[in-house]
Amino acid sequence: MIEVAQLRKSFGELTAVDGVSFTAGRGEIFGLLGPNGAGKTTIISCISGLVTPSSGHVRVDGHDAVRDGPAARRVLGVVPQEISLYEDLSAVENLAYWGGAQGMRQPALGERMRTVLELTGLEDRTREPVKRFSGGMKRRLNFACGIIHEPKVLLLDEPTVGVDPQSRVRLLELVRAQARDGACVLYTTHYMEEAASLCDRLAIVDHGRIIAAGTLAELRAMLAERDLLRLSGSFQAEAAKAALAHIDGIEVLQADAELLILALPEASRRLPAIFAALAAAGSEVRGTTLTQPSLESLFIKLTGKELRE
Amino acid sequence: MRFLWISVRKDWSRVRRDPFSLASSLAIPLILAVMMSLVFGRGQAVPQGRLLVADEDDSLASNLLLGAFNRDPLGKMLVVEKVAQAGGRARINRGDGSALLIIPAGFQEAFLRNRPFQLQLFTNPAQRILPQIVQQSLSIMVDGAFYVEHVAGDQLRAFDTGHAPPDDLIASVSVSINHLAASLRRYLRPPAMDLETEVVADPGESKSFAATFLPSMIFMGLLFIANSMALDIWKERLMGTLRRLAVSPAPLGAFLAGRLIFVASVFALMALVGLAAARGLAGLPVASMPAAVMWLTFAGTALFLMVLVVALAAATARAANVMGNLIVFPLAMIGGCFFPFEWMPSWMARIGRLTPNGWAIIQFQAILSGEIDARKLAVAVAGLTAVSVVMFLVALRRLRSGFMI
Repeated sequence: MIEVAQLRKSFGELTAVDGVSFTAGRGEIFGLLGPNGAGKTTIISCISGLVTPSSGHVRVDGHDAVRDGPAARRVLGVVPQEISLYEDLSAVENLAYWGGAQGMRQPALGERMRTVLELTGLEDRTREPVKRFSGGMKRRLNFACGIIHEPKVLLLDEPTVGVDPQSRVRLLELVRAQARDGACVLYTTHYMEEAASLCDRLAIVDHGRIIAAGTLAELRAMLAERDLLRLSGSFQAEAAKAALAHIDGIEVLQADAELLILALPEASRRLPAIFAALAAAGSEVRGTTLTQPSLESLFIKLTGKELRE
Repeated sequence: MRFLWISVRKDWSRVRRDPFSLASSLAIPLILAVMMSLVFGRGQAVPQGRLLVADEDDSLASNLLLGAFNRDPLGKMLVVEKVAQAGGRARINRGDGSALLIIPAGFQEAFLRNRPFQLQLFTNPAQRILPQIVQQSLSIMVDGAFYVEHVAGDQLRAFDTGHAPPDDLIASVSVSINHLAASLRRYLRPPAMDLETEVVADPGESKSFAATFLPSMIFMGLLFIANSMALDIWKERLMGTLRRLAVSPAPLGAFLAGRLIFVASVFALMALVGLAAARGLAGLPVASMPAAVMWLTFAGTALFLMVLVVALAAATARAANVMGNLIVFPLAMIGGCFFPFEWMPSWMARIGRLTPNGWAIIQFQAILSGEIDARKLAVAVAGLTAVSVVMFLVALRRLRSGFMI
């Protein structure tokens, strides 16, 4: 239902999206995982027709997003990153407006409004101005406005940013429900755990490129079941690298004067050997963090930096 | 088309929920209108000055002369205050007073004996109109006194005894003057010649305060509201609602047209209420209420589009605000919204009448006074509509070409 082929978007000198390709099908939740500024929102903007791609193709339910924009937009539901609501209007007034913008009419609109208000748990606050809502309630209404017309394709751009844990759980369950009902969901986030728990397939995005893609299991396999070991302290980077090179199976992902990040199997069993090698190389270890294989460790392995940087 | 009305309903709902933000735009014109009406009152503006009089004769003739200044219409314009000569000179030198009149001792005797006398008048150079009125009036009175002395000099000289005249003298002089008047009646009544007068009214000078000032205030309100509503497009952009709309199938043209209908309906309502209030409370003459309301609606909507195009051209909300104010305030100043054209130097008024709001005010004043016919009004409305269509298309193009990104 979503086909993105060699998508590229530049803003002057800056290339925000650089040759991105992926597909997502009906009933699937496809995640775009990456740090802020990686290009996720630009990809969503190109798919929704808000931004015209510099090159490449985007098709939504078979409609070209540029040449057949209105038809593509009719099957699209978008939940933007920002809370895009009229805060002086009530929940019902917002839903009526956005439903109207999608071409819905009464009585179907009224029926659907009742359904989404119930789904999002806002049925008791329907007439109140949105500005009196909590952040989580606004997020839920933001979501409700995106699904008011039962879209075939749903684009969610970091919909849980700044949301309390309770609302987050509720929102994620709503997203799963949309996929269960047959919608194709494209979900962007920079929260690893969210992506891991929600998405059927994932693409890791950095600097406008997809650096890895697949199911969660496929991505984890890329780490070869290795642990991630972070050592903080005082290091002579080159000497430390040379000392660690003698230990089997160690890969140095990052080495600088204060931090070493290593990928290796069975790290806990091999800690004494690592400490001894580093001490011999004139390094001083003050802190140690051991992480089991995860999306985060994969991201660090692929980019050499943490996701939240 | 359906979305157009959904947009209008949404905009009205927003105003209903937060009417203060729109009403606050009217604060400045309302405060100015109230202040000006307190200063000038409801009726025609009448200047008031102070005539200082040093009456060193203090005679019947000098009192008759001063009495003439106390009678209408001079009495409405001048307050006569008797002063000593030295004190009067000091005050007029300080600019305290419109003029100082010195009536010398011996004035009555000289007048009755038909001997030369000299009245001294010192005028305040800081004032232009009132000192001239005093000077002209005094000149007429002196001429009148000359003729009175020639016609009834003998009778009046009977009073020149140096004492208060007895009742029988007053009665006999009165009878004598009555006989004199009767003998002159055939020359005086009916007048020897017919004088036909035609008053050609100068609209700039004969208009009431309401007719002069309120149209300016009304247009100031229109400009400020237009600016406030145009800047709302930036609020929508910052709220993200414009972006959300752009990824829906709803046409942006319907959204903009809906906004325009909303704006026009706000102006129509404001015009109706404002004009009714101005007519009822301040006595604003309104020759045709429907035409006046229609004109304000069209003019306000066109001004809105003008400021909207500027707001859409700005790179940030702050820049839009600054640019809007940079356009609205000078336009209001020079275009007759802060001060009526009648109060401006003629060169400034000439420029001001060429501004969009200045031109619209002139048409509006003509509608209020009933000096514009239906054909001229239709031409003016057609012109406004044409300009509005062009600005609508410019605004739509800007909305479609990346304003939301």
